[in-house]
Amino acid sequence: MKGTSLGEFEELVLLAVGVLFDDAYGLALVDELEKQTGRNVMISSVHKALVRLEDKGYLKSHRGGATELRRGRDKRLYRLTQAGIKVLSHSREVRNSMWKQIPKIVWEGSKI
Amino acid sequence: MKPSQPRNQPPNWAVRFFRWYCNDHLSDAVLGDMLELYARRRSAKGKSKADALFILNVLLFLQPFAIKRKSNSTQANSIAMFQNYFKIAWRTMSRQKMYTGIKIGGFALGLATCILIFLFIRHEISYDKQYKAGAHLYRVYNDYSGPDGGKWTSFPASIVHILKSDFPEVEKAGRLIPYNGWFNAGSNLFRPADKLENSYEEGFAYADQELLEVLEIPMVYGNPLHALDKPNTVILSKRKADKYFPNEDPTGRTIILNEDKTKPYTIGGVMYDSPANTHLQFDFLLTLTGVEFWPGEQTSWCCWNYNAYVRLRPDANPAQLETKLLSIRDTYYVGYLQETGNQSAADVKKYQHFRLQPVAEIHLQSEGISDSIPHGDIRYIWLFGGIAIFILLLACINFINLSTAKSANRAKEVGLRKVVGSARGYLVRQFLTESLVYSFVSFVLAILVVSLAMPYFNSVAGKHLMIPWTEWWLFPILIAAAIVIGLLAGIYPSFYLSAFKPVDVLKGSVSRGSKSSKLRSGMVIFQFTTSIILIIGTVIIHRQMKFILNTKVGFDKEQVLTIQGANTMEGNQTTFKDELLKLADVEHVTINSYLPIEGTKRDQNPFWKDGKSKEEKAVGAQKWYADEDYLSTMGMKLVEGRNFILGLASDSQSIVINQAMAKAMGLTKPVGERIMNWETYTVIGVVEDFHFESMKGAIGPLSLVIGHGGSIVSVKAKSKNMANVLQSVTRVWNKFMPHQPIRYSFLDESYARMYDDVQRMGNIFASFAILAIIVACLGLFALSAFMVEQRSKEISIRLVLGASVRNVFRLLTQNFVKLVLISFVVAAPLSWYMMQKWLEDYKYRIEITWDVFLLAGMISVFIALLTVSYQSIRAALANPAESLRTE
Repeated sequence: MKGTSLGEFEELVLLAVGVLFDDAYGLALVDELEKQTGRNVMISSVHKALVRLEDKGYLKSHRGGATELRRGRDKRLYRLTQAGIKVLSHSREVRNSMWKQIPKIVWEGSKI
Repeated sequence: MKPSQPRNQPPNWAVRFFRWYCNDHLSDAVLGDMLELYARRRSAKGKSKADALFILNVLLFLQPFAIKRKSNSTQANSIAMFQNYFKIAWRTMSRQKMYTGIKIGGFALGLATCILIFLFIRHEISYDKQYKAGAHLYRVYNDYSGPDGGKWTSFPASIVHILKSDFPEVEKAGRLIPYNGWFNAGSNLFRPADKLENSYEEGFAYADQELLEVLEIPMVYGNPLHALDKPNTVILSKRKADKYFPNEDPTGRTIILNEDKTKPYTIGGVMYDSPANTHLQFDFLLTLTGVEFWPGEQTSWCCWNYNAYVRLRPDANPAQLETKLLSIRDTYYVGYLQETGNQSAADVKKYQHFRLQPVAEIHLQSEGISDSIPHGDIRYIWLFGGIAIFILLLACINFINLSTAKSANRAKEVGLRKVVGSARGYLVRQFLTESLVYSFVSFVLAILVVSLAMPYFNSVAGKHLMIPWTEWWLFPILIAAAIVIGLLAGIYPSFYLSAFKPVDVLKGSVSRGSKSSKLRSGMVIFQFTTSIILIIGTVIIHRQMKFILNTKVGFDKEQVLTIQGANTMEGNQTTFKDELLKLADVEHVTINSYLPIEGTKRDQNPFWKDGKSKEEKAVGAQKWYADEDYLSTMGMKLVEGRNFILGLASDSQSIVINQAMAKAMGLTKPVGERIMNWETYTVIGVVEDFHFESMKGAIGPLSLVIGHGGSIVSVKAKSKNMANVLQSVTRVWNKFMPHQPIRYSFLDESYARMYDDVQRMGNIFASFAILAIIVACLGLFALSAFMVEQRSKEISIRLVLGASVRNVFRLLTQNFVKLVLISFVVAAPLSWYMMQKWLEDYKYRIEITWDVFLLAGMISVFIALLTVSYQSIRAALANPAESLRTE
């Protein structure tokens, strides 16, 4: 299996899957990421990240939710696995602890 | 789901492309996403922009993650599946031995043809590619674009000095005289000076020292830079050196040609045997250093007998040099013409050009350039290549036809595989694997066939080809070709077979292979069209050959024995002739060097009406020296005037001309007219035109003047028993020439040899035609077997209801005969056109008559009927109960 580390974009996708919860599929994720980050997101990169995350075991997927607009094609709906939740919270903990370790002087210095 | 509004869709091809490359895991979901996005963009930005963005997205998805299959387990699985494919392939192959045999056999035949022709073409295009400075080597030739124009390669002796002194682009230049019969060029009697026995050797030519350097002739012994730079030197090829001077370096040894002891040659070196793929094939090169064939010959512009090869400086521009070469024409040639008062100076200034031909192109692209060197022909390369591809196509068609025809048998398998979860891609892969197996087996068989057929092909094509086993690229190329051809032949059947819908198949409602019967008929038509064209071609070439061999050539080539090498007899020739005439079987004897077949001495001389050499243009004509017995020995007819008379002194100024020459010179009453060459002659007779060159060209002007002696003794026999004549003539010869074995040939055989290439073409075509017919018939046989199998119930019922064997036979065969007739209608005009083109090469040719087509049509219908009837008759004679009771 591939390594378990998370890329920045992958982390964002994981978070977005969490946010959308019940309706996390490719296009919805693109919309969400664009809305949240203000960046231009390519649909192919989102799908690429999804495949990768599923391979790593952070996501699981099932098919469903076809609409007329999609001409009857199923969505692939993603949901976080336990491992996914764990890796997200782990990365959050790491950040929090590192945030706390930054001396105050840095913040004040940056105001000058 | 049906699209409701076509205009709301992205481009269809893009969707299909995406579906093609994307794996199943993502395909639906991603496409759904993209369609949703498309719908959104379409309403926001308009169709064209949305389309463009859609296509962009499709392209952006072209990445490994979307193409790769997602499951981890496929790796192990696919090996197991491939094992299964092979097993199934093996089982189908062994279950249907006849069909398998036909598929593989036809394939192997087609491939073998292709491999042979590939080797042939490879050999032909490999000519003269071995020179290090190959890109800068050129042959100079003349291009006279005026009326009676032509291209030829001979130049005056001074050409190389002019080229080197006047044009800085020319680095090296060398001359060559390859003309048979030009002094010692061609063939000679040869012996080392210390031996007595003479041997006949061919392959002599005159060459400059610098020619060795231009053509980079590699040397075994001797200095390549000085091998020919002394007068009277010669270099030998290795095989000849080994023959006469085994196990030693013969450099410096002396040899005698034609018993001419006054002019011995010293061996200046030994060159390697020229590789088979060079246009110049000589065993003996005589030096041109210090040679002057007659006084003033080396500097005069009168006589053009030298071929010139040059090496240009790497930075030279050959096209520019060609234009510069015109100055040779204007200063030297026109100068000479004006000096001698020749009238053609103005024409020469207008039409004469000097051109450069890359040495590498000489072998295949010398069409129209006369140089008396045997050549390949680029058109035959194309033709053979085309035929090879066509025969391979025929074999592929067999494969496709049989695979799709037998599809009903595989339909259940396909249906079941689909039901248990096989995707279409897997099935395609399975059938492609199968066709690859066929292809590889066929290739192995084809290689076997090629190695067996190689000697036959070599004798037919007059080549020495071999399978290049030791070349590193052989096996990779063969394997690659097997894969490509296997895929090509398999792609249609595999898509066809894998498209069956499981429901239909398992319900039993799949149409039993009839769906593609139109396509199959088309392919059969294609096969037979090709075959019929080849049959017609074979027949026409054969007829042209027969025409050439049997047409009246203007001389009688039967019962004439010719003895070569009589020039060494010197003063004894007249006695020899008299001795021969004493023999009971001998009717006439003549001695000279000119015969009306190729390979004997030729020349070209300008003739004018007496005293008009300054006013009129010359007529170029052959001037043959012959004695008073020449016409009678050769059986040539005088249409006017008289022959030379023995002992008549004034006949030394007499000349006999042929009809073509009388016409060319505008002589209406030729006898008694006076014409001039270097001397003045009186025309005493006109001989009926006879062919003295290939039938490809018209009969040119020719004249005979009296002369005694030469290298060829021709003996006209009284009886048909040539063996007897030969025996008695040999006895006389051995009395005169104990040290020189007699060398003879028969005139009719030498004549036939002139048309070896036509004969060769005919044989090659016949082989191709037979191959094509075999392949096509194999296919037809299998198709008819299949059809009979399919309709066995129908036939049984018909038989039960009272149909006669004949009715059934007709029912089963008429379809195929119809197809063959259609092919004939397609093939006839095509082949007529092609063969007309081929015949245009010949000035003297047959007319294409309708009976050729009738013959070819009948042959093909007959063969097709024969092929089909075996199965049809078997079906018609079968007991109907056999096939009916199973239901």
